[in-house]
Amino acid sequence: MRLLKAVSLRLLFGALSLLFISFVVFVADEVSEGDAATIAAGDKASPEAVERIRRNMGLDRPWPIRYVESVGRTLRGDLGTSFSGTKEPVRDIIARALPMTATVAAGAILIAAGVGIFLGTLASVNQNRFLDRAVLTFSTLGVTLPNFVLAPILVLIFALQLNYLPQDWSVDRVAPDIYYLILPIAVLAARPTALLTRLTRASMVDTLQQEFIRTAIAKGVPPARLVIRHALRNAILPVVTAIGTSFGFLLTGSFVVETYFRLPGLGFTTIEAIKAQNSPVVQACVLVTGAMFVLLNLLVDLLLPILDPRIRESQV
Amino acid sequence: MRRPRDWFFWLGVCYLIGLVLFAVFGPIVRDIQLAPLAKSLDPTLQNYNSVYDKVSPQTWAPYGHPLWLGTDDLARDVVARLAQGARVSLMVGLAVQAVAVSVGVLVGVLGVLGPRWLRQPLMRFTDGMFAFPDILLAILIVAVLGPGMIPVIAALSVSAWPSVARLVSTQVATLKDREFVVGARASGASTWYLVTRHILPQLTGILLAVSMIEISGTILAESTLSFLGIGVRVPEPSWGNMINNARLNMNSHPTALIAPCVILSLTIFSLNFVGDGLRARLDPRNG
Repeated sequence: MRLLKAVSLRLLFGALSLLFISFVVFVADEVSEGDAATIAAGDKASPEAVERIRRNMGLDRPWPIRYVESVGRTLRGDLGTSFSGTKEPVRDIIARALPMTATVAAGAILIAAGVGIFLGTLASVNQNRFLDRAVLTFSTLGVTLPNFVLAPILVLIFALQLNYLPQDWSVDRVAPDIYYLILPIAVLAARPTALLTRLTRASMVDTLQQEFIRTAIAKGVPPARLVIRHALRNAILPVVTAIGTSFGFLLTGSFVVETYFRLPGLGFTTIEAIKAQNSPVVQACVLVTGAMFVLLNLLVDLLLPILDPRIRESQV
Repeated sequence: MRRPRDWFFWLGVCYLIGLVLFAVFGPIVRDIQLAPLAKSLDPTLQNYNSVYDKVSPQTWAPYGHPLWLGTDDLARDVVARLAQGARVSLMVGLAVQAVAVSVGVLVGVLGVLGPRWLRQPLMRFTDGMFAFPDILLAILIVAVLGPGMIPVIAALSVSAWPSVARLVSTQVATLKDREFVVGARASGASTWYLVTRHILPQLTGILLAVSMIEISGTILAESTLSFLGIGVRVPEPSWGNMINNARLNMNSHPTALIAPCVILSLTIFSLNFVGDGLRARLDPRNG
């Protein structure tokens, strides 16, 4: 019963976050110059004509009404039309860009989780020895090195010097798509990998000092089983939460990585739309990105009680 | 025992002092570079114009050309642009942090000790701001205001204050029940007096340490926006747009790319090490 209450509270908070994001995006639309009416009327329209079109489109009504309407439209999946010459529905643009971003982000988070948890565990069992120091140094580099610094370094080495991998996503791709995604995924994964490594290590070091581990050693549990079944299972929870939050870094990173490697994803679309002052596309991209961030964190929070019986019992 | 972190801390401090000097003396850095040449031409060092004439505009001059790091694709002095970029980064970092700390402290204190009707809405609003991932809000704001230094400062300030507010509110919430605060209140101190004389002085250390780390985040965000072409406007140099500009020719002219990458990475490293070091030093548990 308490769990049900906690879950519904968390769902409510998620819904409120989504509303908050949509409201901020709406305010951004309000304060920016030009609206759908001025665009629909074209450059040469007289102020009176613009005013008439604005009235016809219902844009002269008070803002609370228009905000509620815009939320309704968004929920029905109508994100407006692009300002660009094609007048394409924004929903189609998003639908075209989303799979690319999702693929790269999913690839990056999988690598980050796998490598991060592995390296973190490795470092924690070799605590304060050479391997541990090496892993920590590398993860410090990974956390602080900006991805638009890492990207040219990797391109310089792997694409230009060694000529193993393509430099960026080109229109006429000769190799299978995956080859063009290796470098972007590697660059995108660097920061979350480093963060998860550090977190896993810290959490494991804490867990390995606890009494049940000493008991298990005394009982004669084999080392591999001790580390994986006994320690890692207890240490993994903060790491799972961090996987959710590091999705935020992936989004930030995807703007840079997609722009750098010219991947036609959501980040690339956003930046191009900002440069073209195509505000419906910008707002839809921000809305979709923000919504994904909220939903992913929600998912992780709902996943935690399933992973940890203690939370199931003690949930407030 | 002296730990390796201490070395990093002091190296970071030295680097940051050097960076500030580099930024402050940026405008004369070209004269310094050309001084040896001027000496060789004219020992009395009086005729600078003739020196500049000798260094004819040349695109992609290699490093070690009278200009230390050569020139870029438009024959602009890379060192001079790095110095100007340092000014931009430090200015944006400090301005944003000043705004973030002022707003964050105000909101954090009001959220705990303010009028009762204001506390909940303020703290819930702060929580709501965390619904936005890192740089998304900044990108939205820059999209509305257009590129340029002031919009970037505004955008990054808006996304920077909530974490300060959260830090301050948790600190104030614990401090307000400590004996010395309760004692001061019992002897008739007003809330204003308590906050300004007893609570905020306790927070300066941790705020300073956190600010170092947050400034590194801000500098990174500024150069990210500039790299993406929606930050500092193009003729104005920023490390971010220098990297973006140089990457097109990175195979033939790597110096122009490596220089801003190195200076940016070192800046971020140093700020993080100094912030961590300060935090460790100021933490009474380590005393």
